[in-house]
Amino acid sequence: MTVLPLAHVSHWLVNVLYLVPLVLIVGMLAVSSIKDRRAEAAEAAGSATSPAVEPDENAAP
Amino acid sequence: MKRRRLLVALPAAVATVAMLPQAALAHGLVGRQDLPIPQWLFLYGAIAVLVISFVGLAILWPAPRLEAAAERRVCSIPQLLDAFCGAIGVAIFVLLIYAGFAGSQEAASNIGPTFIFYIFWIGLAIVSLLLGDVFKAFNPWRAIARGVGVVAGRTGRGALPAPMPYPQALGRWPAAAGILAFAWIELVYSGRSDPSNLAVLALAYAAVQLVGMSLFGIEQWNRNGDAFGVYFGLFARMSPLRWTREGLYRRTALSGLTQIDPAPGTVALLCTMIGTTSFDGFSAGPTWGEIAPRMTDSLRNIGFSQSLSLEIAFTIGLIAVVAIVAGMYQLGVRGMRSASRTQLSGEELGARFAHSLVPIALAYVVAHYFSALVTQGQAMFYLVSDPLGDGGDIFGTAQTTIDYTFLSANVNWYVQAGALVLGHVAGLILAHDRAILIFEGGRTATRSQYWMLAVMIAFTSLGLWLLSAAGT
Repeated sequence: MTVLPLAHVSHWLVNVLYLVPLVLIVGMLAVSSIKDRRAEAAEAAGSATSPAVEPDENAAP
Repeated sequence: MKRRRLLVALPAAVATVAMLPQAALAHGLVGRQDLPIPQWLFLYGAIAVLVISFVGLAILWPAPRLEAAAERRVCSIPQLLDAFCGAIGVAIFVLLIYAGFAGSQEAASNIGPTFIFYIFWIGLAIVSLLLGDVFKAFNPWRAIARGVGVVAGRTGRGALPAPMPYPQALGRWPAAAGILAFAWIELVYSGRSDPSNLAVLALAYAAVQLVGMSLFGIEQWNRNGDAFGVYFGLFARMSPLRWTREGLYRRTALSGLTQIDPAPGTVALLCTMIGTTSFDGFSAGPTWGEIAPRMTDSLRNIGFSQSLSLEIAFTIGLIAVVAIVAGMYQLGVRGMRSASRTQLSGEELGARFAHSLVPIALAYVVAHYFSALVTQGQAMFYLVSDPLGDGGDIFGTAQTTIDYTFLSANVNWYVQAGALVLGHVAGLILAHDRAILIFEGGRTATRSQYWMLAVMIAFTSLGLWLLSAAGT
């Protein structure tokens, strides 16, 4: 049976507190870069499917 | 509704967790109990300062200020001063070598170990920040080489042969190797306290430097290959003062770092500087205290002796921590590259931003060794009177002792935490200034710097964790 090291929980929990800010900021950066990539992909897909502007035959040379 | 709950739950959680360190302190943290807040809360304060600095830079620092900062000549310097300082450097070097061989072999009674590990390694790093590249003037190997050059030039029949061009690919790799070797001696080598061993190693280092200078030229080797010349030279670039043989110049603090050429090995050197200091802190903590005995036991089972097992285990630990630090920086650079979509390769980008690691390296030195410098440095009062430990009393101070209460635990902690915060803010400023130049300002520069902010937070967290772990 696995025994949780609860007797000294404060020892490792305090260590975890030093890791939390890093995990948070890396998580935020990862989410924002995924969002950026999706937005760019959507933009690229949008520009690819939009009809090309046909040249105006009546336009002055 | 969810937000309200969060607003109530968050302070409650923080308050609950704030009680935890008291339990940890019961196991024997000495001297830091009267800090107004738990140690880990200093990290959150430090991160708040970093984030505020980051936002402030993005808003208030729209153009590069450090990259082309002007400098002013303060005064001229007599030509003889360089030679005079060099002669003092050589005299100190000779005294250390002599004391190593002829003096007491007890580390605390011989001037060698205290001078090398505290005054030279730590003290000179701080002096370099304040006064500029002082070591260059006192560098004994440079002084000897220059002296030999002058004598050979005057007595020889023709001009001395021109030095070989320094190989570009070699860059600062020799300096990185030298710093790693010195850290290994300081942190791993079991004979580090033996003054005669240190004297032999100092002579060997001097021989390598003289060969390097004779092959590639004094200044060229001094800039790239002399580990200590490069080490103190990097810290000196943070200083508002710059010395040349002709004069003293004043400049904006930190601006000297922007002039560092991104030579190969620069990132490796800085990661070695940060990593070796980190390992010193890590090896004093409980985590390494659990890992090291298991490693040494395994090595002893293979057949290694106790002392060799310990040295191998510590060598692995030292290299692993340097690799972790390098990995953290490379991750930040990769993120920056991806966020900025620059055409620069990861290697080029890493080298261009390497200068932002210099203040962090110094912050780590101050944070980890300040108390050692203040306490063990006091030994110099009696060692200058009795450098060999043979009962001499040249200046009448041989009977002085070290006052271990001189630096209170609280003041030490504030200096350590303050140094880490200031060092990382300086790193952010340098990275931001460079990003504006490389990414031509605007949103791309700011977006790229999110990753450097993450790197700074990572190093701050590591630094404060190491300090708190070493103290518990």
